[in-house]
Amino acid sequence: MWRTFTYIISLLFLLGCCLTPVEAQDTIPIPLKIRIGVEASGPAIYFTNKNVLNEEVFLAVDLDEKKSAFLSAGYLNYKYSQYNYQYLNKGSFLRIGMDFNLLKPDKSQGKYFAGVGLRYGISRFTSEAPFIEKLNYWGTTTTSLASRTYWGHFIEFSPGIRTEIFNNVSLGWSVSMRMLLYSGTGKDLRPVNFPGFGDGTKTISTAMSYFIVINIPYKKIKAVLKKDAPEETDDSKDTGTSGNNSQSGGIRH
Amino acid sequence: MSNYKSESLLFVLSGVILLMVSCSGGSCFEETESYLKASFYKNSVRTAPDTLSLSGLNVDSTIYLKVLKVQPALIPLNASSPNSVFIITVNGVSDTIKAIYTNYPHLISKQCGYTFYHHLDTIIPLSHFHLIKRIEYINRTITNLNVENIHIHY
Repeated sequence: MWRTFTYIISLLFLLGCCLTPVEAQDTIPIPLKIRIGVEASGPAIYFTNKNVLNEEVFLAVDLDEKKSAFLSAGYLNYKYSQYNYQYLNKGSFLRIGMDFNLLKPDKSQGKYFAGVGLRYGISRFTSEAPFIEKLNYWGTTTTSLASRTYWGHFIEFSPGIRTEIFNNVSLGWSVSMRMLLYSGTGKDLRPVNFPGFGDGTKTISTAMSYFIVINIPYKKIKAVLKKDAPEETDDSKDTGTSGNNSQSGGIRH
Repeated sequence: MSNYKSESLLFVLSGVILLMVSCSGGSCFEETESYLKASFYKNSVRTAPDTLSLSGLNVDSTIYLKVLKVQPALIPLNASSPNSVFIITVNGVSDTIKAIYTNYPHLISKQCGYTFYHHLDTIIPLSHFHLIKRIEYINRTITNLNVENIHIHY
């Protein structure tokens, strides 16, 4: 599992290197920031449903005008019951990765983000089913699954947007698409809710996250702007054509 | 400044709209029963019996009662026990068989909850076979999936 972790982190940094601008002519000042944020929907959901408590805080550090290193930590306390079973899951999770802002520096200005996040997540949780009941031809069978601790991990692709609504206070949201690499529980007893991932019975999960973020500027850089390629004018086309002709003519002579 | 505010408002509203469309409930649409799936063969040819009756020993109700052309038969196992005994009658001839297996829980989904899967060890006659010539084991893992487990040659 650690080998996978190392590989994914190396891949993220490699991707970051590939997005470095190569050609630049103008610059624009961009404040690099440290961002501290909380996921807002978890507490909001807990306010209406006391059986699901999901809390997450994150720290992101701008590396340049495009890339940010991202680290988050969270906690899940999940209880679910219906007529034929009861399920409990408590656990914590970490996400680590990079955010890539796809906006140009003159558009983002250090305030706007529209881009993607690539992350690796790892969870440690205890899963328990105190009551399971199954009815069939032979009658009712009841059993329970004792509390056990598991480790699992996943990867995540999170496109999203964020905007500064007040000075150094941002709001944002992202749509997270996650792929479970290893649930730790085996295929028969997958967790109903996997901390940081979501529905553990599925290999792919999607989720919406809403963030409230405090931004702390720590450095100003001059971001390079790629100059847009100038449009060809009719004059330049004509000039090129006539030049070729005259050159051809010259060869003939 | 007003342009900045309206862009910010647009960003936030787009998230709220996504929240509204992303909320969805769920129901159980998957198969929740794990049956021992048995197909019938006569002279090595897949042949549904003209009539099939099947019931658990000492159980009042029947699984099949003179049902025509059943293929395959879906046989429920007792998850509270490591074995189940059945009386099977094909075309009027009966046998009593005992299925020996292990049980283990399996989570289907959040909506459906748990079912019991089984690992089939063997099926033995409680007396001499009158009807069944042999039982062929195809897949000993008994799940809620549509996968054949045994062939009953009669």
